[in-house]
Amino acid sequence: MHTLPQQLANGLFLGSMYGLIAIGYTMVYGIVQLINFAHGEIFMTGAFGALTVWNCLPDGMNIWAALPLMLIGGAIVSVLIAVGAERFAYRPLRGAPRLAPLITAIGLSLALQQAIFVWYPGADNAKDFPQLGTHPYHLGSIAIQRNDIFLVAAAVVCMVGLAAFVRTSRTGRAMQATAQDPDTAQLMGIDTNRIIVIAFAIGGLFAAVAGVAFGLKYGQITYNMGFQAGLKAFTAAVLGGIGNIYGAMLGGLVLGIAEACATAYIANIPGMHQLGGQGWANVWAFVLLIVVLLVRPQGLLGERVADRA
Amino acid sequence: MTDIPLTEPLQPTPLGTTHPDAARSDSFVTLPPGVARIATLVGVAGTIVSTFMSWTYTSAFPGDLTVNGYPGGLQVLTLIGAILTGLVALGAFGVKGLTWLVPNRSPNAVLLLAAGTFATTWYAVIAIAQELGGLANLNPGGFVAAVASLVLLVGTLGLPIDRQPLDPSGAEYYELGRLSENGPARGTYRWLRQARLNHGELPVPDPARAPAWVQYLTIVVVAAAGVKVLTYGLATGYTELFIGYLILVVFTLWAFIAAGLTRQFSKITADHRPFAALMGVVAAVAYPFVQNNEHWANLGVNILIFGTVALGLNIVVGLTGLLDLGYVAFLGVGAYAAALVSGSQYSIWSGVEFPFWAAALTGMAASLVFGVLIGAPTLRLRGDYLAIVTLGFGEIFRIAVNNLDGVSGPKVTNGPNGISQIPDLSVFGYNLGDPHQFGSITLGRFANYYLLMLVITVIVVLVFTRASDSRIGRSWIAIREDETAATAMGINGFRVKLIAFALGASLAGLAGTVSAHVTYSVVPNPYQFSGAAPPNSAFLLAAVVLGGMGTVSGPVLGAALLYIVPEKLGFLQRYELFAFGVTLILIMRFRPEGIIPNRRRKLEFHQDEALLPAQQALGDGTAALGKAGA
Amino acid sequence: MTALLEVEDLRVAYGKIEAVKGISFSVEAGQVVTLIGTNGAGKTTTLRTLSGLLKPIGGRVTFDGKVLSRIPPHKIVSLGLAHSPEGRHIFPRLTIEQNLLLGAFLRRDSAGITRDVERAYELFPILGERRKQAAGTLSGGEQQMLAMGRALMSQPKLLMLDEPSMGLSPIMMQKIMSTIVELRSQGTTILLVEQNAQAALSLADHAHVMEIGTIKLSGTGQDLLHDEGVRKTYLGED
Ligand SMILES: Nc1ncnc2c1ncn2[C@@H]1O[C@H](COP(=O)(O)OP(=O)(O)O)[C@@H](O)[C@H]1O
Ligand SMILES: [Mg+2]
Repeated sequence: MHTLPQQLANGLFLGSMYGLIAIGYTMVYGIVQLINFAHGEIFMTGAFGALTVWNCLPDGMNIWAALPLMLIGGAIVSVLIAVGAERFAYRPLRGAPRLAPLITAIGLSLALQQAIFVWYPGADNAKDFPQLGTHPYHLGSIAIQRNDIFLVAAAVVCMVGLAAFVRTSRTGRAMQATAQDPDTAQLMGIDTNRIIVIAFAIGGLFAAVAGVAFGLKYGQITYNMGFQAGLKAFTAAVLGGIGNIYGAMLGGLVLGIAEACATAYIANIPGMHQLGGQGWANVWAFVLLIVVLLVRPQGLLGERVADRA
Repeated sequence: MTDIPLTEPLQPTPLGTTHPDAARSDSFVTLPPGVARIATLVGVAGTIVSTFMSWTYTSAFPGDLTVNGYPGGLQVLTLIGAILTGLVALGAFGVKGLTWLVPNRSPNAVLLLAAGTFATTWYAVIAIAQELGGLANLNPGGFVAAVASLVLLVGTLGLPIDRQPLDPSGAEYYELGRLSENGPARGTYRWLRQARLNHGELPVPDPARAPAWVQYLTIVVVAAAGVKVLTYGLATGYTELFIGYLILVVFTLWAFIAAGLTRQFSKITADHRPFAALMGVVAAVAYPFVQNNEHWANLGVNILIFGTVALGLNIVVGLTGLLDLGYVAFLGVGAYAAALVSGSQYSIWSGVEFPFWAAALTGMAASLVFGVLIGAPTLRLRGDYLAIVTLGFGEIFRIAVNNLDGVSGPKVTNGPNGISQIPDLSVFGYNLGDPHQFGSITLGRFANYYLLMLVITVIVVLVFTRASDSRIGRSWIAIREDETAATAMGINGFRVKLIAFALGASLAGLAGTVSAHVTYSVVPNPYQFSGAAPPNSAFLLAAVVLGGMGTVSGPVLGAALLYIVPEKLGFLQRYELFAFGVTLILIMRFRPEGIIPNRRRKLEFHQDEALLPAQQALGDGTAALGKAGA
Repeated sequence: MTALLEVEDLRVAYGKIEAVKGISFSVEAGQVVTLIGTNGAGKTTTLRTLSGLLKPIGGRVTFDGKVLSRIPPHKIVSLGLAHSPEGRHIFPRLTIEQNLLLGAFLRRDSAGITRDVERAYELFPILGERRKQAAGTLSGGEQQMLAMGRALMSQPKLLMLDEPSMGLSPIMMQKIMSTIVELRSQGTTILLVEQNAQAALSLADHAHVMEIGTIKLSGTGQDLLHDEGVRKTYLGED
C-alpha cells in the first residue's frame, strides 16, 4: 500500500490535476502578465457546473455516459466565467498600476466563492459528487482508482491537444507572438484582444476538466475548494516556470510527487517524526516553492527574464 | 438674489490644479435656470415642512413617526439633509454669508446633497410601506415628504453641473469618437460622461489666508462634529435608522468633497499638522468617555487593532507597492508569541510571564523574523511572486498552528483549542482587567484596552508618517512608481523593500500582542485569508484599498467601516463577503485611489502648480471660516 | 490623384504631454518619404499612431482612401500598411521562418506566402541559411533584415521603417540602405524614419525635418541635403 511506486503513482495523479489547473495561470500570465487569482474559483465553478448537469440528468443514468455531458456543462460555466472576467473585470484595467488587477482578482475570487455559497442550493455544505466505482485496478503492486485513470487520461489528452494547437495552428502561432511581444503582434495583424480571450477560455476549459476530476476523485466538492487547489496550482506554475505550458504540467507533477512522498516519508527522517502526514503536506509544498525560488527563480523550464516589479 | 451667474467660468484664487477644459456642462434635466432654482428651494421647504408632519398611522414602524409637529427617527435625518441642502444651495446661488459652504461655487454639491436627502426620505417612505404592508399606512406627511424631496431632486438635476474633463491621453477622445458613430450608444455615453462629476478638482480659495484662530477653531469643530456623527451612528437603535444615516453621511461627505470643503480642510490640517493630530487624538480619547459602554469600547479596541495592522500593511502595499496576501499571519505570530510568554497555564512555557513591554518586543521580534524569512528569498523576484508566497505563508501559518498540538505535530500551540486564559495586562501597576474610576465615569476593561491600544496606534502612526516622509519613504515610493528607474537612481531595491516588509510585519506583531490579551485567548481560526469577520488578510487589504493606499487616515477609516457596517447591518451577514468582493472590483474600476486619495503623488509631480500662493484676498472665504467657528 | 497616405494636423499626447503637435504630410504611391529629426522629436510616436498603436487626440489620417483614426492596429495592417518598429522587435523565441510567416499572418494564399518567404531569403541570403534558428540568436543587423523581411511579407502598399540603421555597424548600415534602394526600384512605397540623415536624404523623394513635435522644414531629399541649416544641425557640419 505505501510502497514507493504507489506513492509515485499517487503523486502523479495529484500532479496531473495541479498541472491542468496550472495551465490556466500560466497561459494568462504568459500573455498579459496577470496572476488571475480567481482561477481557483473558475475551477470550482466548473465542478459545480458539472454537478448541475448530473443533477438534471435522469436518476440512475450510467456515470460513464453522463461524464461527457458533465464535462461540457462544466466547461461552459468555467469558460463563460473566465471570459467574462477578462472582458469586464481585467480588460478595463489594462495599463493601470500592477496592483489594481491583482486586487480585482481577489475581489472576483471572493465574489465567485460567495455567489456559489449563497445561491447554489445546499452549497453551504459539501456537495456529493457522483463516483466512477470504487474497485481499483492493479498494476503490479500499484492500486489505481478508476477516477485516477480518468484524471491521467484527461490530462494527457488536454496537454497533447494544447501542445499541438499552440505549435501548429495559426491561432497558436499568434498566441506565441502575443506572449513574446504584444505590440509587435498587433503590427502583424493579430487581434491580441481575441488571443487574450482565447487564453482565458483555454484556462477555463482545463480548469473545468480538473474540477470534474476533483469531484470524481474526492467524492465531494465545496464552494471553497478553489482556494487551496488554486494556490497549489499556482505554485506548480511557478515551479515549472510561469508562462511556459510544459512547465506548468511538469511543475504540477513535481509538486504532486513531492507532496505524496513528503506525506509518506518525512516522518521517517529522525527528529521529524511528527512533521509527516497529510496535515503537513501543504507546508512541504510551500517549502519546496521557497527552495525553488531561491535556487532557480525562473522555475524549472522558465527562461531567465529580467527581474521585474 | 444672485450675484454670480452659474453658467460663467469661475475665477477664484487657485489652490491646486486648474483644468482648462473643465467645463460646466448641460444639466441632466433641461429646465429654465430660474425654474430649476425655484424648484430646488421649494423642494427644500416642502421637505422640511413634511418632517414636522406625521408620516404613518401606527407606531409599529420604529422611531415613532406618528407625531405631528415634532420630527422623530428617520424624519430627523430627512430634516438635517433638507436643511443642509438648502444652505448649500443658497451658498452655491451666491447668497452672501453662505458662499463659504461652497468654496468652489460648484452646483454639484447641491445635487449630491439633494440626492442624499431624496434617497434617505424615499428609503424611509418605502420601508414604511413595505414593512407595514402597503401605501395605505402612509399619512399625508409621508406623501408630502416623498413629493417634496422629488421636486428637490428634479430641481437640482436642472442645475448645470461641473463635469470631469476628458482624459488628456487620446483614449477617451477615441472612445467618444467611436461611440459617436453608432447612434443610440452615444446618448448613453453622453449621459455617463455627464454623470462623472468633478470631485473637488476645481480651484478653491486658499484657507491659509483666514486668521489663524479661525483655522484652529475649524479643526476643533470638525473633530467634535466627527465624534458626534460617529457616536450618533453607533447609537442608532434599529437597522432602518442606520441605513438612512449611512445614506445621508455618504452623500453629505461626497457633497463636501464636490464643494471643495474637504480640500480646504485638508490644506488647513496640512498647515497645522501637530494641532490637527492632537485634536484627532483628543477626539479618540474622548470616545470611551462619550460612548461609555463596554460593547462599543470593545468595538473600538478591535477597530484600533485592525486599523493598526492595516497601517502596517499600508507601508507594504500603499507605500512600497508590494502585494502581501498573508499579512494577517504576522498579527497571528505576534499574538501567539505574546500568548506563549503571557503566563497562561496553557502555554508550553506556563511559568514564563513577561511584562508588557517585553512581551510586545517579543511579538514584534517574532513577526520581524518571519517577515525577513519570507521576504528575503522573494523580494528579489518580481512582485507577483511575493503575492503568492505571502498567500502561501498565511495559509501555512494557520495550518501549522492548527497542527502544533502534540498529536499531528510537536506540541506548541494546542492546535485548534489555542492558548486560552491569557491573563490581563498590567501597565505601570494598572491592571487593565479592572474597571477604573475617572470622576463620575467608570472605564471598564475594554475601555482600558482601548486607551492602551490608542497609545500604540499613535506610535504606529508616528512611525508611519516619519518613515514615509524620510529618505527611506521616498525610496519606497520611487520603487512603487518605477522600480527600474529607482534602481537606476541608485536605490537598493531589495534592501528598501525588505525594510518595508519587515517594518510592516513587526507593526502587525505589535498589534497582535495586545489583541492576544484583549480576547483572552488565541486560536488559529481568525488568521485566514478570507472570512466573514475581520481580521483576515482579504479584509486587511480591503481596509487599505477602500480607505486609500499610502495615507494614514485611509486604512483606519477603512478598518472602522469594515467593523461598524457588518455590526450594524446584521442581516447582510450571508451576503457580506459577496458584496465585499464586488466592492473591491468596482473600486478598482472606478476609484482606484480609495476613499481618501493620496495627494502626495500629485504634489510630487505638480509641485509648481499645486501650491500657488493665493493671489487674491479670500473675501467670502474668510468670512465663511469665521462663521464656521462661530 | 490623391496621395496614398495623407496626414493632416495630427496631434498625439502621452498623458498631458503632447509629443506630436499638429503635423501634416503626405506620401504618394511609389515615393520614398523620410522623416528625420533628433531624438525625441516625435518620429516614432508618429509612426506608432499611423499604425494604430497610439490613439491621436486630434487630426486626421487617410490611408488609401480610408480614415484610420478609429481602426484598431490589426485591421490597419490588413489595409496594406506595414510597420517595422524601432528596435526591430523580432519574436526572439520563434524561428526566422516563423517570424516571416507571422508577417503574412493575415494572408490566406499559402502558395503566395511560400513564394514570398523564398523572395525574402533571396533579398537577405543570410536569413535563408538560418531559417530554423531562433531569431533571438541573430546579430543586430540580421535582426533588422528579418524585421524588414517580415514587414514585407504582408505585401504592403506602404512600408514604414523606423530607424532601420539604429545601432548597426557601418557595413551593415550600408547593406540595409542598399536594400531600401532596391525596394524603391521595385516600386515599394516607403515611409522612412532615420537619424542617419545623410543616408536617408540621399535616397528620399521627399523629406520632412521634425523638431519637438512639429515639422520644421520640408522639401525634396536633394533640397534638404543641400540646405544650410540641415547640414549644420543634422549632418554634423560646421
Ligand atoms: N511611452 C511614452 N510615454 C511618455 N512619453 C513618451 C513615450 N514615448 C515617447 N515619449 C516622449 O515623446 C516624445 C517623442 O518621442 P519619440 O516619438 O520616441 O521621438 P523620436 O522617435 O523622434 O526619437 C519624447 O519627448 C519622448 O520623451
Ligand atoms: Mg524614435
